[in-house]
Amino acid sequence: MKRTLTIVASLILGAAASSAIAETKNPGTFVFLWADDVQSFDPAYIANTPSSYGVLNVYSRLLNYKGSEISDFVPAISTEVPSLENGLIKQGPDGSVSYTFPIRKGVHTHKVGLKGAGGKISWEYYDGLSDAQKSSIEPGYGEITPDDVRYTFLRAILMGQSWMSNAITEVVTAGKYTDIAKWVEAEGGGAKIKEAKPEILRKVYDQLASQITVEGDKVTLKLPKSFPATLGVIALPFGASIVDREWVASVGGWDGSGDTWINYYRPELSADPLFAQENGSGPFMLEDWNRTERRITLKRFNSYFMGPASLERVVMRTVPEWTTRRLQLLSGDADFVTTPVEFLDELSKTDGIKVVDGLPKVFGRGLFFAWPIDDVDNPAIGSGKLDGAGIPPDFFADIDVRKGFNYAQNYDVLLKQVLLGKTVQSRGPTVRGIMGYRPDSPIYSYNPAKAAEHFKKAFGGKLWETGFTLTAYVQEGTPQGTAALSALQQGLQRINPKFKLKIQSLPWASISDKLNNRAKPASPLTYMGWGPDYSDPGGPLGAASYYLSPTGLVGGMVGQGYRDLMEEKFKPLLDEAWASNDPAVREPIYAKLQEMSYEYATTQFLWEDFGYIVTRSNIDGYVNNMILYGAWDFYTIKKAN
Amino acid sequence: MLNYAFRRLLMLPVVMFALSLMIFALQMSLTPTQRLAAYAPSPDFLKGGQESIRMLIEQYGLNDPFYIQYGRWIGNILTGNLGWSETARQPVGTALASLLPATIELVFLAFFPGLLLAIYLGSRAGIYLNRWPDHLIRVFTILGWSFPVYVFGLLMLLVFYSALDWFPPGRLSQWAQAVVASPSFVRYTGANTVDALLNGNLSVFLDALRHLVAPVVTLIYVNLANMTRVMRTSMLETLRQDYVRTARAKGMPRRVVELHHARRNALLPVATIAGMELAYMMGGVVITETIFDYSGLGQFAAKSAANLDFPAILGFGLYFALVLVVLNLLVDLIYPLLDPRVKTK
Repeated sequence: MKRTLTIVASLILGAAASSAIAETKNPGTFVFLWADDVQSFDPAYIANTPSSYGVLNVYSRLLNYKGSEISDFVPAISTEVPSLENGLIKQGPDGSVSYTFPIRKGVHTHKVGLKGAGGKISWEYYDGLSDAQKSSIEPGYGEITPDDVRYTFLRAILMGQSWMSNAITEVVTAGKYTDIAKWVEAEGGGAKIKEAKPEILRKVYDQLASQITVEGDKVTLKLPKSFPATLGVIALPFGASIVDREWVASVGGWDGSGDTWINYYRPELSADPLFAQENGSGPFMLEDWNRTERRITLKRFNSYFMGPASLERVVMRTVPEWTTRRLQLLSGDADFVTTPVEFLDELSKTDGIKVVDGLPKVFGRGLFFAWPIDDVDNPAIGSGKLDGAGIPPDFFADIDVRKGFNYAQNYDVLLKQVLLGKTVQSRGPTVRGIMGYRPDSPIYSYNPAKAAEHFKKAFGGKLWETGFTLTAYVQEGTPQGTAALSALQQGLQRINPKFKLKIQSLPWASISDKLNNRAKPASPLTYMGWGPDYSDPGGPLGAASYYLSPTGLVGGMVGQGYRDLMEEKFKPLLDEAWASNDPAVREPIYAKLQEMSYEYATTQFLWEDFGYIVTRSNIDGYVNNMILYGAWDFYTIKKAN
Repeated sequence: MLNYAFRRLLMLPVVMFALSLMIFALQMSLTPTQRLAAYAPSPDFLKGGQESIRMLIEQYGLNDPFYIQYGRWIGNILTGNLGWSETARQPVGTALASLLPATIELVFLAFFPGLLLAIYLGSRAGIYLNRWPDHLIRVFTILGWSFPVYVFGLLMLLVFYSALDWFPPGRLSQWAQAVVASPSFVRYTGANTVDALLNGNLSVFLDALRHLVAPVVTLIYVNLANMTRVMRTSMLETLRQDYVRTARAKGMPRRVVELHHARRNALLPVATIAGMELAYMMGGVVITETIFDYSGLGQFAAKSAANLDFPAILGFGLYFALVLVVLNLLVDLIYPLLDPRVKTK
């Protein structure tokens, strides 16, 4: 009897499991489970990659990146990609550069303004409108015009909220101002933006507006001088996603007036009218954003100007627990799930599941040296002296210490055992695909003899005698970072048992507190990772600037000593490269900077990050664009039934 | 009785004020950069550099002294505004109000059947002391107690979702979600089962119920042991009382003595434990909600704490204080109903 029951139960379980796997659930709907969240649907507000997933799919831009290319573009709302050859990029005799974008006609937003009997405008979905209703669309109300394009850029700049939108300010001012507040301060004799006189605010607006002009069906951006990353910034979803001016004004946003823009400067998220609603011209519409259940539903826009998407709906849900995501993928309730790297091999062998692996990313991981370090009550530096029980605050100012650390790291073991051979060692700030990257540039390798040689020279030989104790920090939940520090810890111990590296995992808030908004950093050695936000290595968001500029992202975190080194050795070359438009001139300079980062051992560059996706096997069409950090453009996705 | 209840409720603002001061004091022990984590929860948000960080700190007034920040918060509270939660991307009050029905739905479906089952099993175990029903019940409940919620929840998912596809995680299937989100479906309460019934939509009701089965069974089973054991012990003690012996001696039927005389009096300690259990569950069952992908107060509170989202933490703290005070009061008021000898003074 028992045996019979067991057999029957097994048969039921097997049948249920196989039917669950074989079935295509939710045809036409792409269910996307991740652990992240979208911050806002306002293109001018967002700055982080997960938030770009929303804006990227509901709005359109002038240009799009061409598939997975990071320096090539294709037309979108602009009918052509500006170039010197087609005459849409022009250099003026005064050194100014203008970019002209011919604007496509007939691009409608998801909702359009219909003029009612009393002249009142009501916003209705364009899909499903009858011809009679379409004839009553108020001109400009829901049709992307050159004026909307101009308004979009002005709004992103004047809102000043997102550092990614502020990149457009840098484009327009060719790097003179990093945000609108700086511009106002400069014009107003140093007065803060909130205290600036109305005439100063108007003056800044007029200057800005004069640089973004509309002529017929064309919009022209006039830059005071060359800014090589211009098209890269224009094709990003941040700030440059085109909004409809009339609609924004109708929902309580800025109406485009030069006298009122300050009222919309840096709004709180809750006060931003575009935070939870959209009216873009992208392939999907925001159907529902249930923030309580952290679920976003996008619905296909059938009148998308490039033709309707294959998917009818996309459901993006935040599911923090990996096992739950995994089971939903296996049962077919989810089509994509974010997956911890250690499960890739197992899932790649599972029926019905597809793993696309080894996708490149323009993102480098490293251990960041900082000096001088805050020496007041800082447990990270122990005694604060070179006595074996701590380190002096300027420990990493000694180049032999930095080189010793770099030779003490076992990169091969990390790449093979921790990263499972899926990526390559990082060669410096610029990674594969970015100008200045050369596959034969010098890199450090594990070499205890060389490490010992440098350590013996450090601090006039005293370091080798006394040893050291220091604490390195890693964000909790980053096992690869902990592994990198453990490998270094072991390497150092083998070289000299008096070299003691302690490892501490901390929440992001605590790590940030040790590096940011303080006179001196409190962490001497930190595991972090950064990547550029456009393909050009120069400019404010470029890879070389992020790492090697004294005013760059890394420089801001790792101390005055590091910044001084960058100022003295690296900045002249960065400026030289940025001043030129000619790739033949610029490439060798960035390659030189890359080599110098090795020579000066500025950072322990570990590995290039890599991407992967795990989907049901009936999902196709994913395009990995490195500069968009692999953000999902659902327009190209197909789900077979 | 009313006077007593009123006096107990008067304590509520004092408790809430003290709690808010404590949470605020804890918050102020962190630096402004740490508190910025609520607005910049990952390194991505700080790529704007030091200037951007300083602007954010200034924008959100994180450098202001304690009394100014507290004054700002309490001023908002007095106007009915609990602040903005960056975690929920909505006002704290709205987040709590929209998550509460989901938590109530889950907790009530788990708590009341669980309580009845515990009372039943506990009294049976007490009546059949050291006989096979007692042994069976003890093993069954201790087994549930020994299971970490995490393990039992995952087992439930593996068997009843992954293998059988009976009870999926989440709150609704995609198709039901579309129905609920449609304009024709009226959201009366926010509880899917109740709203489905009120809308006369049986298929959505059944779907919502199907999604509730696994978390409800998990909660019932892992929480069963505590109340069952208290009930069993209390029942044993009551069965040894003189009045029970007298009743039996007078020839009263055994069933009447056990169920009507003994069990009612044995309920007092269970009421105390049950009140605490309900309060705990109303605070959110974080692990159960996380495993079963069930958006409730527990997940929200845990994520807010991890993000140092202080308006949300404070708002949740006030909510939980309210739940604790009210449920304790309710338990106190229930005592005399269970045992008329207990008078509230």
